[in-house]
Amino acid sequence: MPRRKKNHNRKKNPIAILVIAAAIVVLFLIRLVQVLQPLIRQQVFRLGFTSPLLVGWKLTLFGRELLSSLFYFLLSAASIIVLIGFLRLRRWSWVLLMAWTGLSLVISLVNYFYSQPNYVVMASNMIIAFALNITDVKRIFGIRSDENVLGI
Amino acid sequence: MSSASDYPVVSSAASRDSAHPSPRDLDLLRQFEPVARFTKGDPFTPTDVIHYVHDCSLWEHYPDGHEELLVKEGELTLDKLVEPRPAAFGTVRFLRFIENLNLAEAAQVLAALSRLRARKRNHFSAGIGRLARGGFLPRIVDGLFTLSFLLRGRVSAATAAAAELDFHEMFKEDPRYVYYGRVVRQNGWTILQYWFFYYFNNWRSGFHGVNDHESDWEMIAVYLYEADGCLIPEWVAYASHDFKGDDLRRRWDDEEELKKIDGCHPVIFVGAGSHASYFRQGEYQAEVNLPLPNWFLGIVQAWNKFWVETLGQPPSNPFHIPFVDFARGDGLRVGPGEHQSWSPVLIDESTPWVGQYRGLWGLFARDPISGENAPAGPMYNRDGSPRSSWYNPLGFAGLDKVPPPPDALEMLKTNCEKIDKRQEELEAVISKGARSLQSMGINLKGMEGNPHLAKQYAALEKKVKTLAEEVRGLRREQSENRALLQGLSEQCQRMEAGVKDDPRAHIHHLATPDKMNDVFRFDRAAEMWAAISLSLLLFIIAALIFFAPRYLWAGLGIISLLFLVAESILRSAFVETVSRITLILSMVTALILFFHFWKWIVVSALLAIGAFLMYQRLRELTG
Repeated sequence: MPRRKKNHNRKKNPIAILVIAAAIVVLFLIRLVQVLQPLIRQQVFRLGFTSPLLVGWKLTLFGRELLSSLFYFLLSAASIIVLIGFLRLRRWSWVLLMAWTGLSLVISLVNYFYSQPNYVVMASNMIIAFALNITDVKRIFGIRSDENVLGI
Repeated sequence: MSSASDYPVVSSAASRDSAHPSPRDLDLLRQFEPVARFTKGDPFTPTDVIHYVHDCSLWEHYPDGHEELLVKEGELTLDKLVEPRPAAFGTVRFLRFIENLNLAEAAQVLAALSRLRARKRNHFSAGIGRLARGGFLPRIVDGLFTLSFLLRGRVSAATAAAAELDFHEMFKEDPRYVYYGRVVRQNGWTILQYWFFYYFNNWRSGFHGVNDHESDWEMIAVYLYEADGCLIPEWVAYASHDFKGDDLRRRWDDEEELKKIDGCHPVIFVGAGSHASYFRQGEYQAEVNLPLPNWFLGIVQAWNKFWVETLGQPPSNPFHIPFVDFARGDGLRVGPGEHQSWSPVLIDESTPWVGQYRGLWGLFARDPISGENAPAGPMYNRDGSPRSSWYNPLGFAGLDKVPPPPDALEMLKTNCEKIDKRQEELEAVISKGARSLQSMGINLKGMEGNPHLAKQYAALEKKVKTLAEEVRGLRREQSENRALLQGLSEQCQRMEAGVKDDPRAHIHHLATPDKMNDVFRFDRAAEMWAAISLSLLLFIIAALIFFAPRYLWAGLGIISLLFLVAESILRSAFVETVSRITLILSMVTALILFFHFWKWIVVSALLAIGAFLMYQRLRELTG
């Protein structure tokens, strides 16, 4: 059997990329739980969509729970798309992941101040944000640090 | 590239070291007088002081706050201006060009100005305004700056309008463009200063700038050196905002930075309203830093250091307000080769109104940060102290450390000779020292193994150490001198061959006009957003307080984020902005997590460090 030659020229990706990927998977799993929890609470899997979503223009409890489940579903679906792009080192995935992490952090902080905080989500997002800002990671994804220096 | 032989030169021998201006000085000034290019719509041009002073009244502002009229409008002359008038400490003497206007007069003046502008068809169009050029945070600070005028003393819009009308009337009677020229000789340089007097600085009211004030004094200088009995220009310095010292000057042969007419008339692009002088045509961002308390600046500095060095983010300062200085050069042109020419007037310390009037040349608006108070004359600062550009014209442009080119080569050669001589001395001293060191070393060796020589051994060892240190220092000096000598010799060779250095090597911060085409993706939308965004934010906050007070802080945070993201899309800075916001949010999150789990974090860190150290040691142990 022919032996495969080791490619010494291949650059190793920084460990931060693995950390980010792992954190995305953790977040995906947590978000998945957050998708399922309201549905289980409302017994959707047993009874189906039996209650009304709206009364007049106001959301019912069932409607709110369903909306929350849908929102977290979108977040978790986005995380899968981002993860695929991220592992293929696509520039758009860095931008999308940063935006997604920002949004996720806003939700986490609002939850922290107004309802039940989820510290695991907070920690995962924080790790992703810091890791994405590492110069080597930015370089791999083609993000220049002096890009759009006009800023805010 | 121009050379000295390209322009006619004036012999300087006759006027060298003279204290008073001579007719030759006027010739010299005329020979290198600038060409001023103004921005279309700038109503004020350099003029003479006689008419202005005649139209002013003279006042004094006393420390207790009250003001006294000294000479009425119409009665003031340059002679009366400089009459000795003793005054108490803290008194501010000032001219008042436009008398206080009541509401009806102000309305009349504004209407008359509007008619005049329509008739003149000399409109200014801002294009992409300054608000769109700064980010969202500087815009908030700018809003506060605008509100600060409610508390600070300010020159009213009607005053600016009345000044423009008065200048228009005066100019009809005396249509001259005046500069006040001064010739100074210092340290081998001949300095030609061109001072320009304007009736009014209407940067704020006319061009969305920082300030308005009555009267304005601006200056540029040409620096010449003498070679073979002729004067040759080497540097030009323009007074400008935000810049000082070396950054103010350009070398005469720097064709890219310094535009010249007929090879000997530098071109000034005059800032609209501000009258600051620029080397290149364009629109410049002048930044105003807010006068913040030191402790706050310390915090901002520490944050910036952490932000840039630790987090690797680009530096930013939201506490400066971007203002635009329009130096488009698309309006009136004055000077050699243009339709309008200069009327020069020679001045020096002995000119009475220059040397003896230390007061302000316009309204003292009682502005604590001075932006709206009129300036003093060419020789003085607002507080009556001497102006550095007058008494130290070389230092003003960072030229106090620069010898004139012919002296430079001579100086360099002298320095090289001195270093050469020192190297020879060092060689001898080092050789002698090294020999002594060896001799002492061999003695030390001989003393070893003789306990009864312990005291002498210790004393000699101390001497050896001292001498070794000395020789080491001398060798270091010799080595440094060698490198220095090599650099100086190369410079000498370049100078002898007539090779000049990089003309911009001395500049730390180069003033460059904005490149507007590269900045904005959606010009009009960005401009519109810049104009309404701050007010819109305030309306939304008001709505939140009224309709959903419970969610005020969360709503405020989310709305601010949305505003910042919208802003970043319009300013083509989405990636940067999202990255910054996320980083700030993650730092807040980190603080929250540390607050709740500090014990766990500390324990985990200790365990991790312990495990790492153990791993390292065990690896060492097992080889």
